[in-house]
Amino acid sequence: MLRIEGVSAAYGGLKALSDVTLTVEAGQFVAVVGPNGAGKTTLFKTISGTVTPVSGRIVFEGRDISALGPAERPHLGIAHVPEGRKVFGAMTVFENLEMGATTKAGQANWKANLERIYALFPVLAERRAQYAGTLSGGQQQMLAIGRGLASSPKLLMLDEPSMGLAPVVTDAIFERIQQLHREDGLTILLVEQRVAEAIEHCDYGYVLETGRVALSGTVQQLSTDDRVRQAYLGM
Amino acid sequence: MRASPTRPLLIIAGMILGWLALGFVVQNSYYRLLLTLVPIWATFGLSWNIFSGYSGMISFGHAAFFGVGAYGVTLLFVHFGITPWIGLPIATVLGGLTGAVIGYPTFRLRGSYFALAMLAYPLALVYLFDWLGFQEVTLPIDRTDPVWAMQFGDQRIYLAMALGLLAVALVVSLAIERSRFGMSLLAIKQNELAAEAVGVDTQWWKLRAIVVSGALAAAAGGLYAVILLVVTPQSVFGLVVSAQAMILPLFGGAGILWGPVIGAAILVPLSEVLTAELGDLVPGVRGMVYGAAIILVVLLAPEGIFWRLRDLGARRNPAPIEPNAPLPVAAPQRSPARSGTGPLLDVRGIGKTYGGLKAVQDVSFAVAEGEILGIIGPNGAGKTTLFNLLNGLVTPSAGEVWFDGKCITGLKPNRVCRAGIGRTFQVVRTFARMSVLENVVVGAYAAHDSEAAAWEGARAAVGRVGLGAAADRMAGSLTNKELRLLELARALAGRPRLILMDEPLAGLGAGETDEIIALTRALPAEGVTVIIIEHTMSAMVTTVDRFVVLDHGQLLAEGKPESVTRDPRVIEAYLGKKWAATYAAD
Amino acid sequence: MGAFVEQLAQTLAAGLTVGCMYGLLCVGLAFIFGIMRVINFAQGDLMMVGMYLSIFIGGSVLPAAIFGAGTPFVAALLAGPVLFCCGYLLNKYLISRTTGLRAAGDSEGDAHQTQLILTLGVALVLQNAALFLLGSAPVSAATRLSSAAWEIPLGYDEFSAVFLNQARTIDAGLAIAIALCLFAFVRYTRLGKSLRAAAINPEAALYMGIDVTRAHHVAFALGTAIAGVAGGLIVIYYPAQPFVGVEFIIVMYAGVVLGGMGSIVGAFWGGLVIGLVQQLSTVVLPLQLQNAAIFVVFVLILLLRPQGLFGRSVERA
Repeated sequence: MLRIEGVSAAYGGLKALSDVTLTVEAGQFVAVVGPNGAGKTTLFKTISGTVTPVSGRIVFEGRDISALGPAERPHLGIAHVPEGRKVFGAMTVFENLEMGATTKAGQANWKANLERIYALFPVLAERRAQYAGTLSGGQQQMLAIGRGLASSPKLLMLDEPSMGLAPVVTDAIFERIQQLHREDGLTILLVEQRVAEAIEHCDYGYVLETGRVALSGTVQQLSTDDRVRQAYLGM
Repeated sequence: MRASPTRPLLIIAGMILGWLALGFVVQNSYYRLLLTLVPIWATFGLSWNIFSGYSGMISFGHAAFFGVGAYGVTLLFVHFGITPWIGLPIATVLGGLTGAVIGYPTFRLRGSYFALAMLAYPLALVYLFDWLGFQEVTLPIDRTDPVWAMQFGDQRIYLAMALGLLAVALVVSLAIERSRFGMSLLAIKQNELAAEAVGVDTQWWKLRAIVVSGALAAAAGGLYAVILLVVTPQSVFGLVVSAQAMILPLFGGAGILWGPVIGAAILVPLSEVLTAELGDLVPGVRGMVYGAAIILVVLLAPEGIFWRLRDLGARRNPAPIEPNAPLPVAAPQRSPARSGTGPLLDVRGIGKTYGGLKAVQDVSFAVAEGEILGIIGPNGAGKTTLFNLLNGLVTPSAGEVWFDGKCITGLKPNRVCRAGIGRTFQVVRTFARMSVLENVVVGAYAAHDSEAAAWEGARAAVGRVGLGAAADRMAGSLTNKELRLLELARALAGRPRLILMDEPLAGLGAGETDEIIALTRALPAEGVTVIIIEHTMSAMVTTVDRFVVLDHGQLLAEGKPESVTRDPRVIEAYLGKKWAATYAAD
Repeated sequence: MGAFVEQLAQTLAAGLTVGCMYGLLCVGLAFIFGIMRVINFAQGDLMMVGMYLSIFIGGSVLPAAIFGAGTPFVAALLAGPVLFCCGYLLNKYLISRTTGLRAAGDSEGDAHQTQLILTLGVALVLQNAALFLLGSAPVSAATRLSSAAWEIPLGYDEFSAVFLNQARTIDAGLAIAIALCLFAFVRYTRLGKSLRAAAINPEAALYMGIDVTRAHHVAFALGTAIAGVAGGLIVIYYPAQPFVGVEFIIVMYAGVVLGGMGSIVGAFWGGLVIGLVQQLSTVVLPLQLQNAAIFVVFVLILLLRPQGLFGRSVERA
């Protein structure tokens, strides 16, 4: 469904990605892990369009989307749940979800999507009139995911959902993500710093280090490879 | 020192004399008046440039100083019978004072708030002077002693005086531009925090700049009043006057002394001639000219004509790309010896809380002289906040920092720098249009009092990092790696005993990091202790002596690379609890 | 004693009616700043364009017979859509070159200054073009309502009363109504919400598929339209001339800053307070100093409490 081919990109004047190639098949759960500064967020930004790659291209459902502006890509079915959640703090939970449904598909399936989101994250239903800025970190993360789901996406991209969250909360979030993959067959691309949580349920994993793909493989292959630890800690 | 001032001085002299000659050639009295007004407005523009052009703090209210000068001279003459020959200097001093009075409280504001506040001052004065009954004050013609009243029948004498004032303004601008005054202002414009961190006392320089600026503007206003013989609040305090102060340098080129001159030479005659020719048909043509000039400049040449032309010229003759020559490394400079024993840096229970968020909590560690310490930790662990606390950019909520036996907690960043702690930043901002050497000298001012010594020190620092061959290249043409080296040179030029390096390798490719790492390793032998934040662990593990690991703002672990990278707590922090528990081999 | 109370009540009434107009003006300015972080120096001059436009509409376009004395009010409202289009185009082709996502200043501060300077240029062009095309003679759109007043008796004796000028009162009422409409638009409609989202977090808004660039055009256009309508209402009692915008610009900024930049509700209250301060100061200060008083208040606010009454705290040295 999504192919990143030989993408190199710079962010803030610094080279962040060098010749990265990555594939996500329809219905797959792909994880990208790596230490801070490896280029994970830049990777997402090139897929979303807020960063233009210096070389290489991005192909979504057979179509080269490299030239499309960032506001157009969600309408194709790419939902980006950003790093740090970035909820609209001065708007209510419900309004945040409404904003997620800006896409045509989102508006068409609004009622059904909303039910699904509330079923997955009951706390959002409870607090639907509360300002998003006053939610806890974990609740905001759930809201951000809900917002992504509200657009009726074909591909759900999650950027470091565990950042700043306590392990217990992280576990709950990852369970839900798993649920989405298992029950709804949603295609998921996940970027994470915490390796185990990320690759536990994925179909395929990539390890990024300083802007390059250091290694890739299935869960079995990666979990026994000490090079993963080395990618993070250097030795 | 930089290139000698002879060339610009000659250009100035030539320009002034040429203009004066023009005044002799032109016979029409209206055009003579025009010729006289251009230097006055140019002086006004230069005064704006001295403050806003160099420092980047846009003032929308320079009419306040102009008006103070105009009314000062006028009222002193009309009400106290003081000759303008004395009145002008008094008005100039008044202008400087006004600058200090306005500047001191208003500097607390930033960006747009500052611009708006500056806007309000002269507009308030319009109403004030209206109310005080000075709606229109004329300087009476003195037939008994015209010279004493500074009233000359021959227009050319006014021209000479205006040109004299312009010459003064140009020389003052030149002097500022070439000294630490100008360099410090430019550093403030580029990045005020970074400037503080290399030792620039930002408050002091801003105040000095606005005082000089106010004085010059007042002088221009005073002369304007003498020549036109009438002042009204609108004509000297009004919005168009403030706008004119801004537009001339912005149009001609901000931050360089030729800018306001070019702007005045083009825009003033253009608008005045158009007003004279078309004024009846098209009232308001002056405003339209200035308005259109601003719009065009912002769209086409945002930094002004001077820079635009220079850039175009440079592009046609691009600088030759030098091959990556092996970097000659100059002899190391020893920093001054330390006093006393004990750790060089002693951090005691430092903490910083923002609202409810504890960014850094109870962190204590010590750094011995000659060490290279690495500060690591997962994203958001508080590493940069810690640096900001050590540097003085952020005041701690708790704890203390001791450096070389002295408590430096709460000192302003430029003080911390002068105490001997240098810092490099993740994002390198340079004066793109100035040479590498000129960029580095700002850092040298903290360690040297005389200009000559500062330039020497800068040259040594540039050589030390291996940019000696590129010392005179424009900073805008440097590669990423060279920019990092420049940043390092700037910090080293301040002769620090301790240097805080914030992600010096960010964005560099594999091959480019070697030089910086080599330099870092060599620093302790030259008396510079290093603390470094970096994510590129593979580079760090072979460079540092010791690691301090932060997680969620707290100290997690400390020790040698071999032990820290296998410490289960560290693995857990980086790769997650599950990985550490389940998959960590042996 | 009675006379003093009467004068005070009269002053308060005047302050409130003027304050509502200032409030509407401030709302327009605050809206633009709140959504796009643009400080529109030309806001006063756009108001001036609205003034002339509504005089034109009221005089030449609308048949006097239909609306009679209410013509200027209708004309003011009709000026809105015209200025909306002007504002949209102005932002799309000019102002947005220096703002929004395409702004490529070295720092946030740089882009800000450039945009401020650009709008100053626009202001100068508007003022002087108006001078050229329309002449400097003041014009107004008075109706017979301008000199009619409602008399509201003050209870305590049979002679004291407050006179509410009808035109100004209707103006104030319309101003409140328009401000409320804008508030409702931003609060409850999908488009309004997407504007808010674009303001709160432009990056996240992009991820939702919201066209932030277009949102900025709409926001600027709305702010311009409000300035235009406000102008049309003001010109009923205050004459228009090419430089009238300059007189109002400081009032607008003072109100917006007092209310807290970026807060629409705050801006209205800020404008209202400024109006009250101005009218109340007539009791103690001579005419010319009233405006000076506003400047002093403005500077004091900036120095002592730049976040205003409703805003969040602002970056300071």
